[in-house]
Amino acid sequence: MDLAFTAEEQQFRDDMRAWVAANLPPEIAHKVHNALQLGRDDMQRWARILGKKGWLGHGWPKEFGGPGWNSVQKHLFEEECALAGAPRVVPFGPVMVAPVIMAFGNAEQQQRFLPGIASGEVWWSQGYSEPGSGSDLASLQTRAERRGDRYIVNGQKTWTTLGQYGEWIFCLVRTSNEGKPQTGISFLLVDMKSPGITVRPIRLLDGSVEVNEVFFDDVAVPATNLIGEENKGWTYAKHLLSHERTNIADVNRAKRELERLKRIAKAEGVYTDRRFRDEIAKLEVDVIALEMLVLRVLAAETSGKQSLDIAGLLKIRGSEIQQRYSELMMLAAGPYALPLIHEAMEAGWQGDAVGALHCAPLAASYLNTRKTTIYGGSNEVQRNIVAQFVLG
Amino acid sequence: MDFDFSDDQQQLRDAVRKWAVKAYPFERRRSIAQAGGFSHEAYREMAALGLCGIYVPEQAGGLGMGPVEAMVVMEELGSAIVLEPLVQALIAGALLATYAPAGQADPSLSAIACGESIVVLAYQERAARYRLDVCATRADRTATGWALHGAKSMVCVADHAHAFLVPATVNGVLALFLVQRDATSVRTRGYGTIDGGRAGELELDGAPAQLLCTDAAAALAHAVDIGIAATCAEAVGAMDKMMALTIEYMHTRKQFGVPISSFQALRHRVADMKMQLELARSMSYYASLKLNAPAPERRCAMARAKWQLGNSMRFVGQQAIQLHGGVGVTDEYAVAHYFKRLTQMEMSFGDSLHHLGEVSDRLQDNAGVFT
Repeated sequence: MDLAFTAEEQQFRDDMRAWVAANLPPEIAHKVHNALQLGRDDMQRWARILGKKGWLGHGWPKEFGGPGWNSVQKHLFEEECALAGAPRVVPFGPVMVAPVIMAFGNAEQQQRFLPGIASGEVWWSQGYSEPGSGSDLASLQTRAERRGDRYIVNGQKTWTTLGQYGEWIFCLVRTSNEGKPQTGISFLLVDMKSPGITVRPIRLLDGSVEVNEVFFDDVAVPATNLIGEENKGWTYAKHLLSHERTNIADVNRAKRELERLKRIAKAEGVYTDRRFRDEIAKLEVDVIALEMLVLRVLAAETSGKQSLDIAGLLKIRGSEIQQRYSELMMLAAGPYALPLIHEAMEAGWQGDAVGALHCAPLAASYLNTRKTTIYGGSNEVQRNIVAQFVLG
Repeated sequence: MDFDFSDDQQQLRDAVRKWAVKAYPFERRRSIAQAGGFSHEAYREMAALGLCGIYVPEQAGGLGMGPVEAMVVMEELGSAIVLEPLVQALIAGALLATYAPAGQADPSLSAIACGESIVVLAYQERAARYRLDVCATRADRTATGWALHGAKSMVCVADHAHAFLVPATVNGVLALFLVQRDATSVRTRGYGTIDGGRAGELELDGAPAQLLCTDAAAALAHAVDIGIAATCAEAVGAMDKMMALTIEYMHTRKQFGVPISSFQALRHRVADMKMQLELARSMSYYASLKLNAPAPERRCAMARAKWQLGNSMRFVGQQAIQLHGGVGVTDEYAVAHYFKRLTQMEMSFGDSLHHLGEVSDRLQDNAGVFT
């Protein structure tokens, strides 16, 4: 049993740190470190930088151009990116649909879609949830009727993250009403420029427009955009979820934000307040314990073992910690978290901050972060899954 | 980065588990508790497995093993909530081997390793609470050596121990002494503790003592950290067992025509217990893996671990009883006895709030497993 990275792993980390320092644009890092608004251009610029290096799809198999990193290397790369202030990679293309295309798509689909995903040129969205189908995703109703060499799609998707920027959307659609709901679902790739698609933004409580509704009104989709076989879409989608992703714990970002919390607490004069400091101390131990949990899952993966009972805990704990640090940062600003000045949340604003510039985005971050325990499989559903492992 | 156990470590674990299952079932524990809380016979059985010599160097007759071996042993002892305090043998072995003058400690160490001599740490004072820098016990120079004056509380198996490791001040500076229980001017008053074990008060009224080391602040901090790591591991074993007992109960207990394990509210409670258990296990590994780090890093790691373990023990313990319903608060069912042991461990070597303060005092700009 040992807690150290090997010399090779340390070297890999150093190399990654150097590469990120040399390639992450400082104006983007500035926005991330200060929780200022990131625009489409910022996110795509970073995606292209990674894509050019072949590291946007850094989890891809080597035969599809992935760098062939093991779990520890992926973890270290993601950590160096997070600590340096790189934006989150928009996962829908490189992390979500690409593995499905690689595992279940045909050669033509792989050639057609994977290069655009790997390079960061094409923006993908996810079409899963519907107004009536959230936790109970299998009950989805958006239907795709086969007519000749096309599917005609009718229905509505919701919670489509950054759908306003999406060029392609991968959808779970209903192609059969026979049998159990799961057995009538297909996996379809749709060009968002297709006639009949309408994207309508949903304003969230923090004022942002991060998610959308996507309406399908007799949208014609070539049948060659069906992944694999009709009515097998549910198994393809679940294939993704069965892979343990320690990334879901977001512990690297948590460590970065914990540092930011301390900076803000010092600036606001609460770092020396015993009670507030104790709250930071509690969160610090929570982050360390989560990091230990992540390392245990990584070590198990490296030695070829499964640790699905622990992996299920990562999303629950990670999301709770995200909520707590955003909450403590807001509380540190006290009354100065309350003014709502949108311009102050943009980089380069020269106006008069109320209190201090770092106070401006804190309440909005806190409000936005309420989503983390809801999305990605709500924490209640996650608890059902954990209980299934423990109790059967 | 590796959290697997070596074959030797797994064999050690298996040996202790086999002994605990076969020779230390719950009913034996119950009768030992009822008879006073300590069994010499059980202690000898543990010594026969080599456990008392884990931290005793091989040349002094011990196993010369490290924190991970101690951890797996303590997990298994915790699983059976063994009353006999192996943690004291770990502390005594490590202290004598590390802080006593070379060679001087060897006879004591051999006797500890073979289980003949029970040497325990006696440091708790009324005015100190969990602080290690408050010590009213003082040592006076005499013609023949040293004489200690003072009182120590909650000394494990005080009225069964052969000798005590006693911090006492020499001209205001903390030093560490060895006091024999059968020496003059040594009085012990034994009592049972809430977990079914045994402890006692120690009164020293000019008791003759052997000086072991003059830098006792470092030694005492180290001793307590060893105690913390061992306690964390013991707690993980106890919590593992409590989860198993609770799950079994929930599957067999039927109400409204179905096992209560089918009720979602209770299933979510179990998921939360699993969360706390795995966070605890993670921080117990962390504590043992940091036990040989330089003192400031070690101290910080133990404080973090004890804070996490304290919270986990509280939640898992309280919920295990809750999910047992009425029988959870009876003496008859084992779960309450596990709960009492966890409760005692909370107040051993510093409670959660004390260690939160230690973490809080030591905050740096960055934080993580490796800082």
